[in-house]
Amino acid sequence: MKRKFDHPTASNGPRYWRSLDELAETPGFREQMAREFPDGASSIDGVDRRQFVKIMAASFALGGIGLAGCRRPESNILPYGKAVEYTIPGLPLYYATAMALRKSAVPLLAETHQGRPTKLEGNPSYTPHGGATSLVAQASVLDLYDPDRATAHTKGAKTLSAAEVNDLLANISKQYAGNGEGLAFLADETGSPTRARLVASLRQKFPRAIWAEYEAVQDEPPVAAAQASFGRSVKPIYRFAKAKRIVTLDADIFHAESGSLYYAREFAKGRRVAKATDPMNRLYAVESNFTLTGSMADHRLRLASSHMTAFAAALAARVLGTNVFDSLAQGLTVDSKWIDECAKDLVANGGASAVVAGAHLPAAAHVLVNAINARLGNIGATVDFVAVDAPTASTIQALAAAIKAGSVKTLFVLNGNPAYNAPADLNFGALLKSVPDVIRYGYSVDETAALSGTVLASTHYLESWSDARTMDGTIVPVQPMILPLFGGLMEVELLARLAGEDQPEAYAQVFATIGARSSGDAKKAFEKFLHDGLIEGSAYPSVSVAFNPQSAGELLRTAVAPVSLSKDSLEARFTTDHKIDDGRFANNGWLQECPDPMTKISWDNAILISPRLAKEIGVYPSGTKLQVARVEQADFPQGKEKAPIAEITINGRTVRGPLHIQPGLANYTIVLPLGYGRTQSGHIGTGAGFNAYTVRTSDSMSYATGVTLRLTGEHMKLANTQEHWSMEGRDIIREANHDEFQKNPAFVDSIGMEAHTPAVYGKDANQSAAFLATNTPRGNSLYEQPNFEGTHQWGMSIDLNTCIGCNACVVACQAENNIPIVGKDQVMRGREMHWIRLDRYYSDGKADAGAFGGEGNKEIPEDPQAIVQPMTCQHCEAAPCEIVCPVNATVHDDEGLNVMAYNRCIGTRYCANNCPYKVRRFNYFDFNKRATDALYMGPLGHQKEMPELVKMVKNPDVSVRMRGVMEKCTYCVQRIQQAKIAQKRKAGASGDIEVPDGTIKVACQQVCPVDAIEFGNIKDPNSRVSQLKLEERDYAVLGYLNVRPRTTYLGKLRNPNPHMPDYYALPLSRVEYNNKNHVSHDGQNGGKH
Amino acid sequence: MSKIFPKSANALPLQIVIFLFVLGGVATAAVTYYATPKYVRVGYQPVQPVPFDHGLHTGQLGLDCRYCHASVEKSATSSVPPAQTCMNCHSIIKTTSPLLEPVRKSFETGEPVEWVKVHQTPDYVYFNHSVHVNRGISCVECHGKVNEMSTVWHDKSLSMGFCLDCHRAPEKFIREPKDVFNLDSKTLADQGRIDEAHKMIKDWKVKPPQSCSGCHR
Repeated sequence: MKRKFDHPTASNGPRYWRSLDELAETPGFREQMAREFPDGASSIDGVDRRQFVKIMAASFALGGIGLAGCRRPESNILPYGKAVEYTIPGLPLYYATAMALRKSAVPLLAETHQGRPTKLEGNPSYTPHGGATSLVAQASVLDLYDPDRATAHTKGAKTLSAAEVNDLLANISKQYAGNGEGLAFLADETGSPTRARLVASLRQKFPRAIWAEYEAVQDEPPVAAAQASFGRSVKPIYRFAKAKRIVTLDADIFHAESGSLYYAREFAKGRRVAKATDPMNRLYAVESNFTLTGSMADHRLRLASSHMTAFAAALAARVLGTNVFDSLAQGLTVDSKWIDECAKDLVANGGASAVVAGAHLPAAAHVLVNAINARLGNIGATVDFVAVDAPTASTIQALAAAIKAGSVKTLFVLNGNPAYNAPADLNFGALLKSVPDVIRYGYSVDETAALSGTVLASTHYLESWSDARTMDGTIVPVQPMILPLFGGLMEVELLARLAGEDQPEAYAQVFATIGARSSGDAKKAFEKFLHDGLIEGSAYPSVSVAFNPQSAGELLRTAVAPVSLSKDSLEARFTTDHKIDDGRFANNGWLQECPDPMTKISWDNAILISPRLAKEIGVYPSGTKLQVARVEQADFPQGKEKAPIAEITINGRTVRGPLHIQPGLANYTIVLPLGYGRTQSGHIGTGAGFNAYTVRTSDSMSYATGVTLRLTGEHMKLANTQEHWSMEGRDIIREANHDEFQKNPAFVDSIGMEAHTPAVYGKDANQSAAFLATNTPRGNSLYEQPNFEGTHQWGMSIDLNTCIGCNACVVACQAENNIPIVGKDQVMRGREMHWIRLDRYYSDGKADAGAFGGEGNKEIPEDPQAIVQPMTCQHCEAAPCEIVCPVNATVHDDEGLNVMAYNRCIGTRYCANNCPYKVRRFNYFDFNKRATDALYMGPLGHQKEMPELVKMVKNPDVSVRMRGVMEKCTYCVQRIQQAKIAQKRKAGASGDIEVPDGTIKVACQQVCPVDAIEFGNIKDPNSRVSQLKLEERDYAVLGYLNVRPRTTYLGKLRNPNPHMPDYYALPLSRVEYNNKNHVSHDGQNGGKH
Repeated sequence: MSKIFPKSANALPLQIVIFLFVLGGVATAAVTYYATPKYVRVGYQPVQPVPFDHGLHTGQLGLDCRYCHASVEKSATSSVPPAQTCMNCHSIIKTTSPLLEPVRKSFETGEPVEWVKVHQTPDYVYFNHSVHVNRGISCVECHGKVNEMSTVWHDKSLSMGFCLDCHRAPEKFIREPKDVFNLDSKTLADQGRIDEAHKMIKDWKVKPPQSCSGCHR
């Protein structure tokens, strides 16, 4: 019988408490107190304890015989038979390639080790991205080594060889020669010039064949809007760097829109402020969901997606000074002052502002936005229109009609996954079954493959020859890094064989496309193309356009008036998932485990509902409300979000999913992230989340109204990595408004403990980073002072003002540093291994003093401001983790790195306990070796070791950690050492060993689209990082602890418009800070010191 | 009162002490022999699939180390040459030698010759050849006089202590750059030019890392 611990009864006098849970005496806390050990510590799941001991004893006995383990096993060196050109064993090689996603590709440099791609970086030659990459591009290398990918071509139960596939394609080509009647294709969208050429020749060969294209989500504005507005096929490209005022209408320009990497980068250019006199852009976001764009906004208006057209009309009416749009704006329930002042601000910045409508909005909204931009003089200044080819492909609806009519005999499904994500009203799965011959060409054995007679395995893009276009139309190569691991077929080759080309090999086809573009030597041009990774000057041509009010007016007649929403008639908004997109990355463990940037849920999607709706339907948390989604129950202790399951009904179709209360949503909009609920995806993706495609129909592809929600009374667990939403009035993130910053540039010093205590650096407070690092002693600090005598002193600066919270750094770090995934169950126990995380905080300024220690107002905010903060090892000079390590496993080196010697670590976890930033990660299991469902199997789990294939993604320059050791951010020590060694090699017989500034880019810095992270030598006063640390916004998180972190942050700024009705004189987190710390001050008007 | 212990028990304390000493000695000897690189690795001389004679090729014929170990100045690994390198000469000389059969086969098929690894650092040690040979540390310091070995054996312990001996006192081991690949040369210190060695360390800013991050990542 275990001992039961009872909470000691409180005596009279002041009451001290360690956590809010203890104060509130929540059931979860009481249950935790009663347990002798924390959850999971005293039981072994899966294997019986007795059994475990038996097997352990047996294996020890076996292991002991003969001391077999004492001599090192013989190993071999396997050199090449013939040397491979450019390959030097031990050095990585980089090749330019690109990852295509819908019509906008991300140009990449792939790092290969002896032919094995391990890491992707952005191609810096493509200046719009400046070497940045997106979250999904970072993770896509893992898909190459996905054990669940299609490994063979099959027809029914029979495996087809490559020759048989070629015969099959030749036969079809012959069979339909003539007019192609009965042949149909359903493909994904792409910008590939080679595919466009091959499709054209297919059309010529089979004039009556159907070529349809389908993408589950749209990320480019509707073509109809451009046609109606300007009479030609154009698409907008925004130049946010030149825009002083930006208004987004349901447009997540930092993630969901095509070109988001470029847009984030451009936005940051107008956002970055070094001196008090620097100008700063202003972002107005009108949105239904709470997106990253909304979190960066200076003014954010919550509005249902179905009301966006009306809002655009109201804004257009004010900007254009006309009343012709009044009828369209009927039914809009927005404070008209908000629109008035916003419009005034835009007009005042005519030619230097930009209004953006989300790609998913109806054409009418886009036409109105075009009218606004045209009137403001933004077109040609901040909004460029480029000419694009008018789409010629049929729609999936037209194809479905043809299948129903029985006129399709052979259907090729190229990529995509229509059986899973086609509009529900088409019932595409059943249609597929009715086609006599379905040939599926795809990367994984998914829902569509299961319904297809013939399945052709495709190659990964890192195994393929192809080409693509970026969002601005620049042509980029897709070239293979490795021979196809499972002998897949390249898409270009498949089309070329069907089209009956003479040289159907993909290489020859791409060569033909690119060679035809050059006037000179085709071979040279092609080599340059592969070397540079792009063709200079191949972007879509910019055209001047004139707004046509007549045709635009006609289109506006189609606009739908907003309907009023309530808890019984909701709006459902379908969004791409932040990580797994439309479901195509569902089997990618890195992406599944990466928490959503706003909800912080991993491994699942959830129906997001607003706090008001939660209250009205009665799922409002009764426990500690500072933790958004946590409904206190003894069976759902900390780290596990207990989510009530609800049933959503849209036009008679229903879907069930867990509810998550998301502050900042439009009150009666529920958000359904797409991409989950895969039934055939693989070990990782199958069964995660619910499938929102089942309720999405052709007429409501991005949102639907008249939606009802019913609670089922059931619950499920969600893995949420950060339930706690409040900074609780602390100074972790310091922010100010731009006008305050202009008056008091050093505002960060007037916040927090430092404002009240002597500077931790004493008389040296104003010295440079280099001086502080090497000269300033730490007074009476208990910690041993390392001698910082190294040539370099490494440090980092993170600009909170430009960080958009996109999570790309999280996955880049995972790829670079061999960080394992742990699975949903372990995430729920708080054991995720990410070395860098993004903390997301909400503040609504309403939490009063009492909230931080008593009853007070701690309602879940309906309309909060959000802030994100990248948090990783701060490399404290006086590191608290080091003094508690009993075995010196974590120590300092002479260049200021807090290093981990994995071999010394015995796993006491004292360091993690003593870390004030909570950035240390412990290998509770052999996460790198075991499948996530075999962690608890003890010695038996060895049968479920990771396949060799998965090991191929590992970075050979970083140790793979084993069970029982602690790990954390190393400042990418492998990159530092490689740079130092390269410099010393160059120096040879000289003393020129200092690594030049900018040589080393740590993984998180390299991927960052907004350059928020800077890393370098702080001993060099001219280095970029030293300069940033001299800026007045520079502060250290928890600096008062005098741990002297090497990573410091630049304070965040907001730029609200004083005339707006929702103007705030202080950022809301500051209001809460003042409420807590300066009760006597008037929080709303800014507590001054 | 009867005796509880027999008289022979008087010797017991001494016996226990002796036993403990012997046990301790055996344990120390066993650990030293079985578990330290000095004993485990030094002298290891496996049979190679091709009896390549370093002594003949470098000592007598005078091939430079870098002819075969071509990446030693550029990369972390010195690299064992592809069969192609052997065939540069052996397509002309000793073309039919049965001993060279694996090399010829590898050149034709691309299947590697399975050389047995002699020197091996653990997975968590990231030794880099290029930084050592470019900064005045000769091959001979770690590999011994390979130019005199007909079959290569493991000459130095290559334990962490061995590395640190040099990293703590590089002036004792540094050579002039021209001598790095000359395995018969002497270090500056051995030539009695220790002052020059000190000057070189200062001029070149040689600061071998002594903290974990230098070798462990």
